[in-house]
Amino acid sequence: MGQAIFHFVDRFLAFFGGIFMLLGKVISYIIRGRANFHLTISQMSILGISSIPIVCLVLAFVGASITYIIAEEMAARGFKTFVGGLVLLILLREMIPVLTGVVIAGKIGASITSEIGAMKITEQLDALKALSTDPDWFLTIPRVLGMVLMAPVVAAFAGYAGFFAGYLMSYEQIQLQYITYIAEIPTFVDFGDYWACLVKTLVFGATVGLVSCYHGFTVERGAAGVGKAVTNSVTNSIVLIFGLDLLLMPVLF
Amino acid sequence: MIEFEKVVVRFGRATVLNGVSFSLPADKISYIIGASGSGKSTILRVMMGFIRPKSGKVIIDGEDVTAYPERRYAKIRRKMGMVFQGSALFDSMNVMDNVAFYPMYREKKKPREYIPQVLEILEQVGLKGTEKLYPSELSGGMRRRVALARALIYKPKVLLYDEPTTGLDPITSELVNGIIDEMNRKFNVTSVVVSHDISSVLSIANHIIFLDKGQSIELGGHDSVLECDHPAVLEFTRSIRVMAKKVTTAFEEVS
Repeated sequence: MGQAIFHFVDRFLAFFGGIFMLLGKVISYIIRGRANFHLTISQMSILGISSIPIVCLVLAFVGASITYIIAEEMAARGFKTFVGGLVLLILLREMIPVLTGVVIAGKIGASITSEIGAMKITEQLDALKALSTDPDWFLTIPRVLGMVLMAPVVAAFAGYAGFFAGYLMSYEQIQLQYITYIAEIPTFVDFGDYWACLVKTLVFGATVGLVSCYHGFTVERGAAGVGKAVTNSVTNSIVLIFGLDLLLMPVLF
Repeated sequence: MIEFEKVVVRFGRATVLNGVSFSLPADKISYIIGASGSGKSTILRVMMGFIRPKSGKVIIDGEDVTAYPERRYAKIRRKMGMVFQGSALFDSMNVMDNVAFYPMYREKKKPREYIPQVLEILEQVGLKGTEKLYPSELSGGMRRRVALARALIYKPKVLLYDEPTTGLDPITSELVNGIIDEMNRKFNVTSVVVSHDISSVLSIANHIIFLDKGQSIELGGHDSVLECDHPAVLEFTRSIRVMAKKVTTAFEEVS
């Protein structure tokens, strides 16, 4: 029992220590202006563009589901003009950043971990070092930066997909026109909500990037180790996203 | 050029190198031989600074690099190139980008500067016309030669080869040995080859270190490997002696 607790604490500290060390390196490289522009742009395109359709689809389903729950209730109480504002509020404060983070953790985070993990077991990370290249400079910095910069872009597309799906659902359920759907948005949503959504998305993007790179670099024991690292990468990213979401609540709202 | 003084390396409770000492001469081809699991590849990793010894000294080009921090070791690595056992080519890049990695990312050269350089070196290793191929489209021998070209492009003083002929057919093995020999003579590169391919050792080695149970035996030139009466060396070279005997008998019968 005591050994199990020791093992858990050891892994917990190694994980957070590793994540903070990677974060420190990323910040240090950016401050010194040594991040590679071309590698970052290439990662932004690979990571961001490919995940837009799936995140849009997920948010569209969620936007429609939320509207399904609240549209009839609001209409029955004579508040059907509030539906659009409420849907957008829920999306901005919670659904857009959290679900964008979760989906990119599953789609992009997993691919980053497996790519770096495969590079590790085939000695490609050692080959980078042999070529006097810091693997963090070549792999971590462009991926984390790419995630941080592209997460808000993905979230913007996905957010509108969710909001528009909500409109389609409200039209289907209570025949709400688009002009009425958006009429009361200022009553519910202010600039702070957009800002909070952006901050959360940036934080979750960085979290997924750092966690997925960390697990890629710590792969052990061949191909089976890569599979295990990918699972850990996705689950740890998702747990961290929900945990950070809770911690950010009192700070942002 | 490269010296090990009582180097000890442990992985957990297992002692892989147990007080290994040797000195590898500059501009020569040195072979580190021994059975599988004797710690040969670990020696190359210690030289490259991927593994740090528990005790002992590693001296490269006159500098004691044992306790160098990672950033300082990166400067030492610029003097060295390494050809990995599995080639370790970057899967996502074609042959051109693999070979051009150092000039492109470290020296920040423009394509018009590094492309002629890459084409020239690919021709030298017999891979003209393969620039656009990806590692998955290459044979084992071709991958090894691309890895060699990637290391040669920045003209290192020392070239480390990890099992360069393992798994290759005799013709490709001969070609790879020829390239190692040619690079050594042409560019005065100090070559350190880890191998258990005794025929390669006999054909091109100038200096041989034998590794047995984590300890080193410095043998000298390639004749010494057949003259040594150490039981581990005799056991290691038994197959080549048996083969030589069979060949001699066969020739005698024919004549």
